[in-house]
Amino acid sequence: MPITILPPKAFRDQPPSRALNHDSDDIMSDATSDSEDSDSQPGGVSLDGGATIHPRKRRSAAPASSTFTKRPKTNVTSSVPRSAIVTPGERITTDPQWMRGHGTYLSSASLGEQAITSSLAGIVTRTNKLLSVRPLRARYTPEVGDLVVGRIVEVQAKRWRVDVGSTQLAALPLSAINLPGGILRKRTETDELQIRTFFAEGDLVVAEVQQLFQDGGAVLHTRSLKYGKLRNGVFMAVSGTGGGGGVVRSRRQVWTLESANNGGPIDVILGVNGYVWISKHVEPVVPEEAKNQTTGITNLEEVVSATMYSSQNDRIEPETMREIARIRGVVTALVENGLRVDEDMVTKGYNEAVELALVSAEGPDDVYLGGERGEQLAAALTAV
Amino acid sequence: MASSQHVLLSPAELAYLHASLSLTPPIRPDGRSLTQFRPLVAETGILPGTNGSARICFADGTEAIVGVKAEVERTRTGHDSPSLDDEGAEDDDDLDNQQDVVKGDNDWVEMTVEIPGYRDDDAGTVFLSAMLSEALLADGEFTKRLWINRRFHWKLYLDILLISPPLSYPLPLLSLTTHLALLATRLPRLKSEGDEDPLFDDDWAAAPYLYARPVQKGSKKTASAPTARPPVTLLVMAVGNNIIFDPSKEELAVADVALAVSVGEHTGFASSKSTEMDIDTEEIKGYHNLRLLSVRTIDPPSRLTPPGIPNASNSAYGANAGAKDTEKKKQQQEQARTAESEAVEGVWKSPRGGAKTLVMAALVQKVLEKGGVADEVLDALDGVDLN
Repeated sequence: MPITILPPKAFRDQPPSRALNHDSDDIMSDATSDSEDSDSQPGGVSLDGGATIHPRKRRSAAPASSTFTKRPKTNVTSSVPRSAIVTPGERITTDPQWMRGHGTYLSSASLGEQAITSSLAGIVTRTNKLLSVRPLRARYTPEVGDLVVGRIVEVQAKRWRVDVGSTQLAALPLSAINLPGGILRKRTETDELQIRTFFAEGDLVVAEVQQLFQDGGAVLHTRSLKYGKLRNGVFMAVSGTGGGGGVVRSRRQVWTLESANNGGPIDVILGVNGYVWISKHVEPVVPEEAKNQTTGITNLEEVVSATMYSSQNDRIEPETMREIARIRGVVTALVENGLRVDEDMVTKGYNEAVELALVSAEGPDDVYLGGERGEQLAAALTAV
Repeated sequence: MASSQHVLLSPAELAYLHASLSLTPPIRPDGRSLTQFRPLVAETGILPGTNGSARICFADGTEAIVGVKAEVERTRTGHDSPSLDDEGAEDDDDLDNQQDVVKGDNDWVEMTVEIPGYRDDDAGTVFLSAMLSEALLADGEFTKRLWINRRFHWKLYLDILLISPPLSYPLPLLSLTTHLALLATRLPRLKSEGDEDPLFDDDWAAAPYLYARPVQKGSKKTASAPTARPPVTLLVMAVGNNIIFDPSKEELAVADVALAVSVGEHTGFASSKSTEMDIDTEEIKGYHNLRLLSVRTIDPPSRLTPPGIPNASNSAYGANAGAKDTEKKKQQQEQARTAESEAVEGVWKSPRGGAKTLVMAALVQKVLEKGGVADEVLDALDGVDLN
């Protein structure tokens, strides 16, 4: 079937309609009264929404009918933690008991009264007395030591500008790459002149954040054999650390996956910034001419780095390509269903996808994981 | 957005994509089959202030809405035709003869396309709207539907908005959304008769659809009653010998040739034999009566992509990297020259030269195939609930 047209989904978790809350126009006082509603334990309850000192998790307790319900509870499901979406400039509360956290600022509401106001579009979260707004989606905020995948967008005299999905382009100085022909070589003017032979516009690199500028811009480096130009695979951009589902910081961002159906080993690089690279695993090849020379521990890096700036793909078997497409489908399905993307989830999802394909009508070669199949996959993963 | 939208992909990526799409069967990066579209969510009647509206959303977040607004407008009369406004001067017989002549004018439809981040006079946007309106006006049947009487007609404003940034070439999305919006469009029922000033029924429930619905019997459609419908423009591309439908941005970046094919449906009685083309499918029960309306080539961005450098001529590769002596350099340059002219496996080379006629013909044929993609797309669009 070439096309699937689905009817629009009804909102799954109906967010409590704000329009119904006629009795108050600010969210937190709503929420406090709400927590009173669900409070079944005696003591510590203030009717005026004043000093409720119950932590947020109390909300998950079973709903208890309360005698002092302020407004009809029809639209509040207590099993789901209530999350209100706020927009920039929207007042969250004027209640002085709350402290402002990330994504909020103080603004004067009326005579001497300070209101905590949202500066983002996101979900209000409470940690004890701290109010913060988690953005619905955010750009990547670099941190030193992050492994990122980036795309060269600009070549300057002594550095490259790299798109890493942040608010600004990151910089990759010429002095921060492994120059071919010896790792500890000083960069020369010749290198500066042929800067494009290392990385040109459009090239993908895997790098590490070396330092940060004051304004949040990142400086990258590729001075390790793990880093450098990417080839033999496909790129995809998903949302990174910051908001919603997407790539999360984890123990391992890079690993080799042994694929099914004779696909061979496949490298997966999950950049912390949400850029993902899936490629065939290639053992470093020693060029012919270098074979004649003795390869020892001292010049090993020299030999390996020789292939670092190649933009020629190796021969890739169709089976490998198929499995690469399957992994890509798994990552897309994870993101579309709001699940986190890390080694554990991708590996589990991949195994699940292989099994799904076995029972599908088209056989194990079917790698399509869009639409309903993606939902099936996500359901299978969350059920475990 | 120029039709040849510049995509920044590395030569290695392009080489991989091209290799995987040239396989038989090809492997698309998202695992779809050749003719498969991205799954989409569609609904109609989302804008209460319009005569018809629709929204389509792809799973990747690309979203478009279309609103259709109709206005009554006085028909301008040419200097050669008798003035209709001073009726005293007219002969009654003459009036009767001309009564049934339903005429349309392309000026009666105004289409605007808006793509976020692009000016509305951007070449790409203008090209998109030209392609969409061309398909709509191609057979001249559409504007006849807007005829009220000899003095008045409907003026239709189609506003096509892409809400999300264009993650892929938006033509198929916009076309499908426009199609749905036009299907959902209703015009108030006319109460007046003849050339009177038009008077309309207030009852919106009685308003007829611009495109009359086929008679519904339960859930089963009567296939015998052919109904006209707005055109659908499909984006088709070819890599090697593979014909791929609904390409994503990455796929389009390695296309040898890309075509926008507009397909309509025969109304049966309205079209005369002389206007039919050879490739139009013959009428067969159970299938849509497809009719080719227009074909446009889209300049694929693949032609602007940077070529890859084979290892042989890469000065930063392998033993070349440290090469200092002139002997080696010279040798290297010679290798580079041969590498530039020959295709090396695993190295991206942008397609050169024009599209082959045979490939183009195959593309169009594939679209119009009986029971083929266009057929199934139209079937799927029929399934959308119109309200």
